[in-house]
Amino acid sequence: MLKVEVYRYNPETDKTPYMKTYEVDTEGKDLMVLDVLEMLKAKDASLSFRRSCREGVCGSDGVNISGKNGLACITPLSSCVKNNKLVLRPLPGLPVIRDLVIDMSQFYAQYRKIEPFLQNDTPAPAIERLQSPEDRAKLDGLYECILCACCSTSCPSFWWNPDKFVGPAGLLQAYRFLADSRDSANEKRLNGLSDPFSVFRCHGIQNCVSVCPKGLNPTRAIGHIRNMLLHSAT
Amino acid sequence: MSLPITAYVSILHRISGIVLLGGIILLLWMLDTSLSSEQGFNELKETLSSPLMIIIVWGLLAGLAYHTIAGIRHLLMDIGIGETLEGGRLGAKIVALLAVLAILAIGVFLIW
Repeated sequence: MLKVEVYRYNPETDKTPYMKTYEVDTEGKDLMVLDVLEMLKAKDASLSFRRSCREGVCGSDGVNISGKNGLACITPLSSCVKNNKLVLRPLPGLPVIRDLVIDMSQFYAQYRKIEPFLQNDTPAPAIERLQSPEDRAKLDGLYECILCACCSTSCPSFWWNPDKFVGPAGLLQAYRFLADSRDSANEKRLNGLSDPFSVFRCHGIQNCVSVCPKGLNPTRAIGHIRNMLLHSAT
Repeated sequence: MSLPITAYVSILHRISGIVLLGGIILLLWMLDTSLSSEQGFNELKETLSSPLMIIIVWGLLAGLAYHTIAGIRHLLMDIGIGETLEGGRLGAKIVALLAVLAILAIGVFLIW
């Protein structure tokens, strides 16, 4: 039997959050963490968590799994169970709504700040705005982000300043548009990031890189933004 | 939370920075005292020979050594070296190794 400790908190009935221990029979299979959560939900219908696609595409089941943020649906038990014990907590740093469900308003507010849409003030051509294969390749490793918030909620700089530091997820997307040859708003985008907090709270801790379920690298993207800010300032 | 080695290297950089903030004042005061007069120099020499003072000075110099080495890693990352997951981990390990060696060397030098 696998021991599973789950963070429980129902603001309507609980004064404080607490850890509840369950036992689950995995029949020796290397299940995904989400499978275990579903088994717990069948046992205890009061347990709340987010999930949707169950294959690492939608990004809704980001949780803190035995101390490391990840997507429950693509994290196998073999990678996170130690001494037959699994510990599940909500993503850290953001307010908890209930159990493993967090309030992601601050995360989305930072995403909104970087204006995550293509901006081009030249007249639209009759066909699509074309891009060379080389320019298109610059977006690889950036566009794949699914906004699961595993990175930003593992970042100490984001824990301290969730209202002022854009965070790794937002900055990866900021660079995704800065690097896009079809976008012509670079100057405006860089001006919006040049204050001491938006970008420069990143201290290269690399928690974001170590947890990203898609293997992306916000630290490098932030380095590129810094270089662009440096060049635009001279 | 289980944190990657890069996170420990980073938090130690910050802690050593805070230690140095106060420590530099002490070190500068020692320099000033030692240069003020022959009497001041001798008195300071006397004070610094106690085991407690040796440990304090070792702690300060250890902080300085660590902060310098980790700072160089930051500069390298700023020019794009060691920004990948593997590169970051390797860099953090190198910083930890060099810092341990430097701190041991400082300790040996102080006790001698």
